[in-house]
Amino acid sequence: MATREAGKKMIMLKSPDGMEFEVEEAVAMESQTIRKMIEDDCADTAILIPNINSKILSRVIEYCNKHVPTTGATGAAASDTVAPAALAEDLKIWDAEFIKVNRATRFNLIQAASYLNIKGLLDLTSQTTIDTISDNSLEEIRSFLSTKNDYLPEEEQTIRRENQWAFQ
Amino acid sequence: MSSPPATTVAEAATAGATPLIGGLPDEVVIWEILVRLDPKSLLRCRAVRRSWRRATSARGFLLAHHARQPAHPVLYGYSCVGNDVMSLSIIPLDHRSGLAADDQLQPVARLGHALVRPEASCDGLLVLSILGTYFAICNPTTRQYAPLRMISEFSILGMYPHRPTGEYRLLMHSSKTAKQASSVLFGPCTRPSPENQVGCYVLALGSGQLLRYIECADAKELKLSNNSVLFRGCLHWYPVRHGSGNIMIMVFDTTAESFRLMRAPVFPGGCDDLFEMDGMLGMSSSNKAKTIIRIWVLRDYESEDWILKCKIKLPVMEIRVPWDSHDHEIFWDVVVVPGDGELLVLVKYVGRLLQVDMDGKLVTTFHHKGVRPTQLQLKQSLVRHAFFPSLEGYVVNNWPFI
Repeated sequence: MATREAGKKMIMLKSPDGMEFEVEEAVAMESQTIRKMIEDDCADTAILIPNINSKILSRVIEYCNKHVPTTGATGAAASDTVAPAALAEDLKIWDAEFIKVNRATRFNLIQAASYLNIKGLLDLTSQTTIDTISDNSLEEIRSFLSTKNDYLPEEEQTIRRENQWAFQ
Repeated sequence: MSSPPATTVAEAATAGATPLIGGLPDEVVIWEILVRLDPKSLLRCRAVRRSWRRATSARGFLLAHHARQPAHPVLYGYSCVGNDVMSLSIIPLDHRSGLAADDQLQPVARLGHALVRPEASCDGLLVLSILGTYFAICNPTTRQYAPLRMISEFSILGMYPHRPTGEYRLLMHSSKTAKQASSVLFGPCTRPSPENQVGCYVLALGSGQLLRYIECADAKELKLSNNSVLFRGCLHWYPVRHGSGNIMIMVFDTTAESFRLMRAPVFPGGCDDLFEMDGMLGMSSSNKAKTIIRIWVLRDYESEDWILKCKIKLPVMEIRVPWDSHDHEIFWDVVVVPGDGELLVLVKYVGRLLQVDMDGKLVTTFHHKGVRPTQLQLKQSLVRHAFFPSLEGYVVNNWPFI
C-alpha cells in the first residue's frame, strides 16, 4: 500500500513468511530491483520479495536505511550523491559491525543482495568469501567452504602445472 | 507478482548437483563471488574441484571477469646482473591508496629476454618489441606468448579489436619497400603488388591473411608521434604535423580502417600524451622544462571542442634529489596516465619513479632503479584468444616467461 507520511512516499515490502515492512521509497530504491519495479509502475500494491525471509529482509532494510543518502532523499538520483569523508568513515565502522554474523546469515544476505541488486551490500557480504578463496591454501579453501576435492592426484598436479605462476 | 526468472535459474543450477559452495546457489557463487576474484586467485581456485574449474573456464565467465578488472598503467623494469640485462618485468601500477609502495609494483610476469619493451596494449594483450626490430605478442596473465615474425622491421602504431570480424589487428608502418625488407622477412614476400610501398599496413592476428596496405598521407608522421589511444572505436595519435604545417591529431577508425585528422588544443607544448578521462579524450601538454602540465579535454568530440581543464604544477623541489646542483638544467621524463577517474603524473628521475596527483602533490616515491613508465594500460584478461595457437612459435607457460 503506497501511502504518504510527512511528505515521504512509503512502500510496503512483504516477505514470503507473511511479514510486512513499510519503508520509505528512497530506502527501498537502494535496491535496483525494487527501483526498477517502482519506475515501471509495478509497485502500486505491496511488493512480495520471494526467497528472503523476514529475519534477513529486516537486516537488508536496516542496511538500506543506513546507506540511503541523507541529503534530498526523495530524488531519483539521491543514491549517486557522494558522502563526505567523515560520513564514509562512520559507514565503514557501521558496516564492519553489521557483517559480524554467522556464515548461514552471511550467505542469506549475499543471496538477498544479489536478488535485490544492492551493490554496496553485495560487496560487503561477498568480500569475506572472496578473501577466504584468495588468502588460503587449496586444502583450507575446501575445508572452510565445506567442499570436497574430486580430482585424482595426478589431475590436480596437471592443473597446478597449467597455472603454475598462480601457485608461486 | 510472479517470481523473476533469475531465481528459477539459480534453483535449476543447484538442482541435483553438488553446489559449488554449500548454502549458496551456483548462479550467485559464479556471478557474485568467483567473478570478483583477482586473476591469480581465479587460476588457483580451478584446482579446488572439477565444478570450480568448469565454472571459471567458460568464455562468457572469463569475458565478464575481464570486464571487471581495473585498467592499470603499465610499467616495465629490467633485472640486471652486473651490466647484463637478464629479464624484463611487466608491472601494472596498482595505484589504489592504502597500498604500500612495494605492493603497488607487483610484476604480473617476467620475461627472460634482454632489451624488450611493451609497444602496444589492448584487452589484456601486450605487443613487445625485442631489440627494437622483432616483435611478439603476449598475454602476461595467461602466460601465452608468440613471436610475430612476419612484421620484423616494422614500427607498431597500435593494436585494436576489429569489431566486424572479432579479430585483433595491428596497425604498422614500414619505411622500407618490400624489396628492401625482403632480406629480413620470412617466407615469400608478404606485401603483394601494388602495395609494395612505404606506408601503413594492417595485420589481422591469426587470420592467415597477408599484410594489407592502408592509404595514409601522413603515415611517416605517425611513427614519430606518441603511443595511440583507443577511444570511441578509433585510435588517436598526437602530434602529427600535417602537410599544411598545422599540428593535428590523427584518427584511425578501427571499423572502416581509414584515417582522418582532428583538431588539437590551441596551445600545445612539448611532450604531450593522449588518454581517456571520464569518458572524454584528454591531452596533457607540458612546458619545455616539464614543470607545468596543462590538461585539456575534448568536451564535444564531434565539434572538436577542447577546453583547458586544469594546470598541474610539479613539486620541483621534492622531485629533485639533494645532491642536485641547483644551477644546471634538470631533465626528467613525465608521463600522464589515467587511473580511476583521475590522472596520475609519473615522473622518472635519477633512479626513482615519482607519482604526483592532479593537485601537484607528491603521492608516492618508488625507489626502483630500473622501472620505467609507459603510456600503456593493462586490463588483465584470462580469455584465451583463438589466434594464439595459430601463430608460429606459440608457447604457453614456457620460455620466455620465467
